[in-house]
Amino acid sequence: MTPQSSPLPKVLAIDDSELIHRLLRVRLQHEQIELHGSMVAVRGLEMARELQPDVILLDIEMEGMDGFEVLQALKSDVDLQDIPVIFISATASMEDRVRALDLGAVDFVAKPFEVVELKARVRSALRVQHLVKMLAQKAQVDGLTGLWNRTYFDRRLSQEVSESIRHRRPLTLVMCDVDGFKKLNDERGHPFGDMVLERLAKILQSGRGSDIPCRYGGEEFGIILPNTSGSEALEVADRYRRAIEQETWPSAVGKVITASFGIADISVLPGTQGVDDLIAAADSALYKAKLNGRNRVEAANINQSTG
Amino acid sequence: MRLTPDDTTLRSEFADDPDMAGIVALFVRELPQRLAAMHAALSANDLEQVRVLAHQLKGAAGGYGYPKLGEAAALVDHAVKEGQQVNVIRSRVGMLAAVAARIRP
Ligand SMILES: [Mg+2]
Repeated sequence: MTPQSSPLPKVLAIDDSELIHRLLRVRLQHEQIELHGSMVAVRGLEMARELQPDVILLDIEMEGMDGFEVLQALKSDVDLQDIPVIFISATASMEDRVRALDLGAVDFVAKPFEVVELKARVRSALRVQHLVKMLAQKAQVDGLTGLWNRTYFDRRLSQEVSESIRHRRPLTLVMCDVDGFKKLNDERGHPFGDMVLERLAKILQSGRGSDIPCRYGGEEFGIILPNTSGSEALEVADRYRRAIEQETWPSAVGKVITASFGIADISVLPGTQGVDDLIAAADSALYKAKLNGRNRVEAANINQSTG
Repeated sequence: MRLTPDDTTLRSEFADDPDMAGIVALFVRELPQRLAAMHAALSANDLEQVRVLAHQLKGAAGGYGYPKLGEAAALVDHAVKEGQQVNVIRSRVGMLAAVAARIRP
């Protein structure tokens, strides 16, 4: 998964009337969106958590929990509070509209809705949400390589570590460092060094879709491999290593560029370890790869990470 | 005086929209059940249920191309909300049923 991937925006409709859901499915079928729906407010909130939709269309009058209560629940949840909410309601009193907007809804569409207006309002909310997401993403993307940056890496790795522990799923971290990079930079200048990093980033991005390559800092990359055991990761890392070794460089370079890799499988760490232990283990494996002659992959094992 | 079919039937404003044909037909097919449910709620003196059903029709009918039906449903919704006498509500449900009887795809 790389910063460029951007799936269809998701729209979640919460309304207690099947008639409205049918209508929305037909009326929004040609929009570039993925439409989801719930007829029960509580279920709608659950779906919002699962789907992380880009826009929520929310009815006011519903049995049990009404639209205002749903909106309040959304706004008090850190994971959901930034999702724009458009109220769609047959109760279009001025008081309701003002209350909805005061509570943080971005827009209000009266039922029965004009199709053109509904589409325009959904598109407008999606545009704003897209920009907000893009800005948020921009703060997490490395300017030179276009890979995720260190900020993203730290957040994502701790997320993946908790997921891995909670669901007992494998997780492996790969650290990668360009061999002799300082020398390259000194001899050929920084623009050359930058070019090498950009090319390497391209190679790391061309791997499996589930790999999460990040620029860790300087000439070091961290690749998070969710759902991947240490032995699988050995093969994955070695494919990256070979791809780098086999890369054809401009003839002026006159030499082969290589990188070393260290991998750490969370399951070989003793006990329940944190993010820092995983990074330290992968780093010491990387160090071993450097000591053992560079352009190779080494794996951390229990002895190493404890001793 | 003889009424021509155009005076008696209400066709969907979206009758010519092929995207809408399926759900409009379904809406018309299900309409008698919705009215029956409203009458049943009225007989059971469950005015809140009458209002909920009318409210949903009020919000949706226009979307299916039947604004007159939506307006008739709104009158029922408002009558209950305003706390009108049961006979007023019953007469408005009757008016809504009369409009519904004229609905065709
Ligand atoms: Mg409703």
